[in-house]
Amino acid sequence: MAYPGYGAPGGGFPGMPPQQQDPLYGYFSQVAGQDGQISADELQRCLTQSGMSGSYQPFSLESCRLMINMLDRDMSGTMGFNEFKDLCQALNGWKATFSSFDRDHSGTVEGHELQQAITTMGYNLSPQAMNCIMKRYSNHGRIPFDEFVSCCVRLRALTDQFRRRDTSHSGNASFQYDDFIQVTMSV
Amino acid sequence: MFLGCGIGVSKSRPILLSSAPYWFAHPATSGVDKDRSGVISDSELQQALSNGTWTPFNPVTVRSIISMFDRENKGGVNFNEFAGVWKYITDWQNIFRTYDRDNSGFIDRNELKQALTGFGYRLSDQFYGTLIEKFDRQRKGQVAFDDFIQCCIVLQRLTDVFRRYDTDQDGWIQVSYEQYLSMVFNVV
Repeated sequence: MAYPGYGAPGGGFPGMPPQQQDPLYGYFSQVAGQDGQISADELQRCLTQSGMSGSYQPFSLESCRLMINMLDRDMSGTMGFNEFKDLCQALNGWKATFSSFDRDHSGTVEGHELQQAITTMGYNLSPQAMNCIMKRYSNHGRIPFDEFVSCCVRLRALTDQFRRRDTSHSGNASFQYDDFIQVTMSV
Repeated sequence: MFLGCGIGVSKSRPILLSSAPYWFAHPATSGVDKDRSGVISDSELQQALSNGTWTPFNPVTVRSIISMFDRENKGGVNFNEFAGVWKYITDWQNIFRTYDRDNSGFIDRNELKQALTGFGYRLSDQFYGTLIEKFDRQRKGQVAFDDFIQCCIVLQRLTDVFRRYDTDQDGWIQVSYEQYLSMVFNVV
């Protein structure tokens, strides 16, 4: 069973500039403390200042919290620079996918476009699963960019969690109850 | 009230203590039903409740509670259903008071751990940090009354969905990728 990719191809940063010369590092170091880690509200500032949300509404604190959790291996609730770079790469991909569906530039997509976007990203979900997702994210039939990103972050995080427990790559995973609670709540 | 694991633990409801709700607006018959429609809406219930701060009661929690007691899918509760709502909230108030040991009006990380462990959950220490981060709308690093209820409601929903799949009740489920995504997106 193929696992889906992480946003549309491309949208990354060409080459690997040394950390200090990376334009992203400027934004990051402005908000990160001595420990080189940023929390959810610092991430929100960072993303706003670096213009990652483009012409869309800035990311909500809740979305930023989700983004940190997505990459947070040690459950510290914070993100380092490399993780921040990974995140920006994913965000660029999602932004490209979203804007290809937001043809009227309203900053929102419709329910069926969300479905198409999710399929484009490689997720092959049943109609029921799609319905759950649409119900969860649409506001009167429309999904704003911030919510779209929340959805993508969750899909990616859940897929990672599932994949780690599908040791035989059969498409089935076993979850023990305590683990299930913690994994699902962290997402 | 809560099931901590899948292994044969029965649900038990906490005893309702007959204490007056000291920080709630008291539901005088017409006091809560502001527009006298005979149905208490989300916003009317929200206005009748206090989370111990000056900020409005968590609207998501209000919605969850109303939908639990609204038998007719009308988007509110009638007076009979409201009795259930009030008992539910009073039960929660008692639980909250029990675990807010320092009487701060907030449940901090340690108190949350004691509460959830008391309900039967077995969660890692770091996870309590995640929970507070996720549910604390006051940004205090502690949960207010409404956010505490919301946290417990979500935990309960996850438990319910887990149990549905755990047919042999051994505390383990095996699910396909699709099932997993549906389970989660239905709840969180």
